[in-house]
Amino acid sequence: MYLYLPVALTSINILVPIGLGLAVGLLSGLFGVGGGFLMTPLLIMFGIPSTVAAATDSNQIVAASTSGTYAHWKVGNVDFKMGLYLLLGGFIGGLAGVQGIKVLQAMGNADFVIKMTYVLMLGIVGAYMFVESLMSMRKKKEESPKQEKESKIGAFLKSLPMQTHFEKSGVTHSLLLPVIFGGFVGILAAVMGVGGGFLMVPVMVYILRMPMHVVVGTSLFQILFNCIEVTFLQAYTNHNVDFILAVLLLVGSTVGAQVGAVFGRKLKGEQLKIILAVIVLVVTVKIVFELTMSPSLLVSQGGGH
Amino acid sequence: MKIVRSSHSAVHGRTSTWLTAALVMLLGSFILKGVASAELTARANHDHITIDFFYHGSTVSVSGVSDPDADLVIKISAPEGHQALRKKGKVAGLLWMNVGNLDYEHVPSLYFLTATKKPEDILALEELDRAVIGYPALARHAEVKPVSDEQDKARWFDEFIRYKEASRVYSVSSGNITRSEKDGKHTYYTVFDWPYQASPGDYTVTVYAVRDKKIVETAESHVLVEQVGIVKRLADMARGRGALYGTISILAALGAGFGVGLVFRKGGGSH
Repeated sequence: MYLYLPVALTSINILVPIGLGLAVGLLSGLFGVGGGFLMTPLLIMFGIPSTVAAATDSNQIVAASTSGTYAHWKVGNVDFKMGLYLLLGGFIGGLAGVQGIKVLQAMGNADFVIKMTYVLMLGIVGAYMFVESLMSMRKKKEESPKQEKESKIGAFLKSLPMQTHFEKSGVTHSLLLPVIFGGFVGILAAVMGVGGGFLMVPVMVYILRMPMHVVVGTSLFQILFNCIEVTFLQAYTNHNVDFILAVLLLVGSTVGAQVGAVFGRKLKGEQLKIILAVIVLVVTVKIVFELTMSPSLLVSQGGGH
Repeated sequence: MKIVRSSHSAVHGRTSTWLTAALVMLLGSFILKGVASAELTARANHDHITIDFFYHGSTVSVSGVSDPDADLVIKISAPEGHQALRKKGKVAGLLWMNVGNLDYEHVPSLYFLTATKKPEDILALEELDRAVIGYPALARHAEVKPVSDEQDKARWFDEFIRYKEASRVYSVSSGNITRSEKDGKHTYYTVFDWPYQASPGDYTVTVYAVRDKKIVETAESHVLVEQVGIVKRLADMARGRGALYGTISILAALGAGFGVGLVFRKGGGSH
């Protein structure tokens, strides 16, 4: 059955957005990512204008991450305190990132810089997570040498002011740490035009040393607030949110997020990390292919600048 | 059903001919030349297309009375305007990405053309250009910026046509106008697939009667495409009341997320 989308100005088979929502919601509940890096290009592929695809996806993520956060919160896997500091950093970083885009655009070649940053980030994060989780799966018993290696960085982190204990995550850090790294992810996410879940998850795992299951719940919590802000700004300034498309997507994604959260509990932290790493790497390879293969059309719809 | 219909007669009534000609000249679009031997009429069967939730495109048939000896060209087009597209190019000799914008001026967002024979074979160049019939005429009519020379312009105009044809809003064909005779009246008929990608708006159907490489008569009709009901209300709200629309979208998403969470809690029993 086809439905007409009033803002996207196109007609779509309703099974397409429901199916996409289900698949991406599943990933969201499993790994604590918004899934924009998958959903937006898929929507464009199905004929949704790129600006509408990105804006509507953020509306849909509000629903999926609410559903996912709720599911993780029920089993005590959301560190609200950590989430709030990350959010604070992310908010400041987002503002800085938007200015950064303006500078890039003034310099020209913005698209090139943004695309390259995106591909490099995806590639590095994916490869690092893959190798790291593979090693930790192999050397599960020998954990002592790894601890020693990080003692230097650990000592430096411990020397920072405003140390506080994050109960849910079972870690003690300076308050500055989540704010600074949240800000860093916020800048990159704003420049690349993505939610940044795929960056936030590794930051929480490798820098903040949080347990993987708490990472997923906390990441969803902060994605929820980011996407509320983005949805509002997109609807208010660019008029690009398609409500009907968002509803179709969220029918699938809210259910997917619940299923993902249940599945996630059955998997080990390393298993979750390695699957996410593989997905990130596959997306990287896909983007590299797109960049190097000759496109069938040499012009595309103009942006909303 | 709203019917917008007009036809010009060059034979019946000199006053009306002069009036029509004066009006047309004033508008600066068409100048009626020559004398036609029969009245040309145009009618679009689907002159008011309504877009509701279940809209998935439509068909528009154009029919009317014509001189059987004249060739016909039928054009449906949107008002001319400006379109901005992104241009892809190779960066560092290897990577394809957006390398800038292209501005197309005087181009319609939709352009359908069909004719009894290939328009370039039955019309003189100046007539093709005057009425903007066919892609080459449209290319000469349009402006593309920034381009380095005519060759560059032609290349990026070709890409524009390929993009529009892929979006199903441009098409040029010939040989699919059916002509018949009934009770001494010579009629013509053709049908266009109307794509759901065509945005709401007022489209003009123009039928040209052609003889001796010249346009001898024109008749016009309109197709109005409009959103109705909830589709219209949502689209208007998204455009006009962004803050409210955004708030409702967010609340609906939050509600759905919580709702599904509650359903799973009751039915799931996951722990």
